[in-house]
Amino acid sequence: MAEINLNCKGLQCPGPIMQVFKAAKEAQSGDIINIKVSDRGFAKDIQAWCKKTGNELLELTDTENEIKARILKK
Amino acid sequence: MNEKILVIGAVASGTKAAAKIKRENPEAQITVITKDEHISYAGCGLPYYIGGVIEEQKELVVKTPEDFKLITDIDVHVKHEAVKIDTQEKKVEAKNLSTGEIKIYYYDKLVIATGASPFIPPVEGRELEGVFSVRTVNDALQIRQLVDQGKIKKAVVVGGGFIGLEVAENLHDRNIQVSLVELVNHILPPFDEEIALYAQNYMQEQGVNIYTGEKVLSMKGQDGKVQKVITDKREIDADLVIMSVGVRPNTRLAEEIGIELGVTRAIKVNEYMETNMKDIYAVGDCAENVNLITSQPAWYPMGSTANKMGRVAGINMTNEDKDGLKGVLGTTIVKLFKLNAGKTGLSERDAIKAGYELETVLVPANDKAHYYPGYREIITKLIADKKTHKVLGAQVVGEGVVDKPVDIIATAITFGARVEDLEKLDLAYAPPFSMAMASTILAANVLRNKLTGRVQGINPVELKERLKELQIVDVRDEGSFLIGTIPGAVNIPGGELTKRAGELVKNKETVLVCKIGKNAYLSYLKLKKSGFENVRILEGGINAYPYEKE
Repeated sequence: MAEINLNCKGLQCPGPIMQVFKAAKEAQSGDIINIKVSDRGFAKDIQAWCKKTGNELLELTDTENEIKARILKK
Repeated sequence: MNEKILVIGAVASGTKAAAKIKRENPEAQITVITKDEHISYAGCGLPYYIGGVIEEQKELVVKTPEDFKLITDIDVHVKHEAVKIDTQEKKVEAKNLSTGEIKIYYYDKLVIATGASPFIPPVEGRELEGVFSVRTVNDALQIRQLVDQGKIKKAVVVGGGFIGLEVAENLHDRNIQVSLVELVNHILPPFDEEIALYAQNYMQEQGVNIYTGEKVLSMKGQDGKVQKVITDKREIDADLVIMSVGVRPNTRLAEEIGIELGVTRAIKVNEYMETNMKDIYAVGDCAENVNLITSQPAWYPMGSTANKMGRVAGINMTNEDKDGLKGVLGTTIVKLFKLNAGKTGLSERDAIKAGYELETVLVPANDKAHYYPGYREIITKLIADKKTHKVLGAQVVGEGVVDKPVDIIATAITFGARVEDLEKLDLAYAPPFSMAMASTILAANVLRNKLTGRVQGINPVELKERLKELQIVDVRDEGSFLIGTIPGAVNIPGGELTKRAGELVKNKETVLVCKIGKNAYLSYLKLKKSGFENVRILEGGINAYPYEKE
């Protein structure tokens, strides 16, 4: 199982979701995608995205300066 | 000059006027009377006292009567309610609310600073225990006590203005389940719909139940205590009800002696704060203002305006050289949890009512550089006169710094700026403070693009109403489209648009949608080049679209 790390801080438009989408396409089932982001809308977006695509959101941490997510590719 | 000056009212403008008179003319004999037991208090701070953000009552009171006397040598008589003015003999009768005794105060000049009182709609049950308004220190004390005692589980706030929303936030922070009922179709009535709904969605996400377009019909209780609020659509359980539907100017004393009221029903004053009666001035919430843009009467019961009125009156009562307050813009700002919303000048609705032909724009941007940690998105709505390009108003909302852009625009409007002037402002920039092109400048750039016909935009309010008639194209990436888009939109990422333009109906009115509007603009240029004539971009993009997505 591979771990893919994405630093999408500073990325706004197109936003980090596009990066997650690309990474998930290339990833194998069981891979983990770690992503950190500064775009505030990401917290809501990644939850909705996981719901729609069936990938699992293992962790979501939202601090003042960044949002981190850990996603399991299904 | 031992002039006798009497001031009725001792919150913001009354004490301000008294203090200014004393500084200008130390010989003046000034007396301030108030029916309240507190003076010079921060009325705007009351919601935060209820929430415990402000810990102690004494922190709210700017000065006690004793302090005030000590510092200014002005006598303040608390719990003395002025009941009658006699302009012939230049005296005021006041009732000592502790003893019932009537006392006579003579004056050479009189300042009316009687403020405003909450308007309580005449609904059944308003006298029940547990129903409050939030205007005086005593109101806040009583509410805070009930909350501290753990007696309140469910609260209903009636009215979605600043005070109502602030109280809702503070009660929610005290672990009380809060519902808010607003008569019109969105909270923050002075704001335009798309900005107000943005704030409303945010409040709901924080856990406040909001019911708009709903009328409170009555309140029901048991053993004299409130239990339910009944609206035209539902019943809501409540052991505390906050009535905050608005305030009305206290004008009875003035009206009785023939002082003229303005069209807003507040006391009419000129720019020197003089009423139509010689030697009688009116300041603060009881008096009318002039809107600086329209030059029409307006009423802005705000602490910021009240203090200026008090100072101007003080100067004019003691000097030959007069000082005038030409008007105000109605600039306001509110914090709702972590969201800030501010406004200056005319709203779109105000501007239309005032007869302007206008252009508006909705532009998301950041309060700091997008690579600097902790930046937040803020959305600016800018409104300008289509003919003269003069800036008429702005509304800014977001979790970031909002007061700065609002104040920049308020200043610009005051000095008659055009959109082109805003674009060229030399504002303070370094990444921790601003974008290199500040949010206000960016908004002005986009507005100028609209004014000069470089781009056609559609506001979210109009788009929502016309969803079915329009060809809507979401030009974002597939992943973003998947999460949520405008109902009925198709997805063609911007990069593929020229190639795939054939999938669209060329002569149909088309709206391009992206995250904030920038990529839609680039796509707009592409479609125009491909021969599409009737194209517009969704202003503010998905981020500023406050309605249901799919």
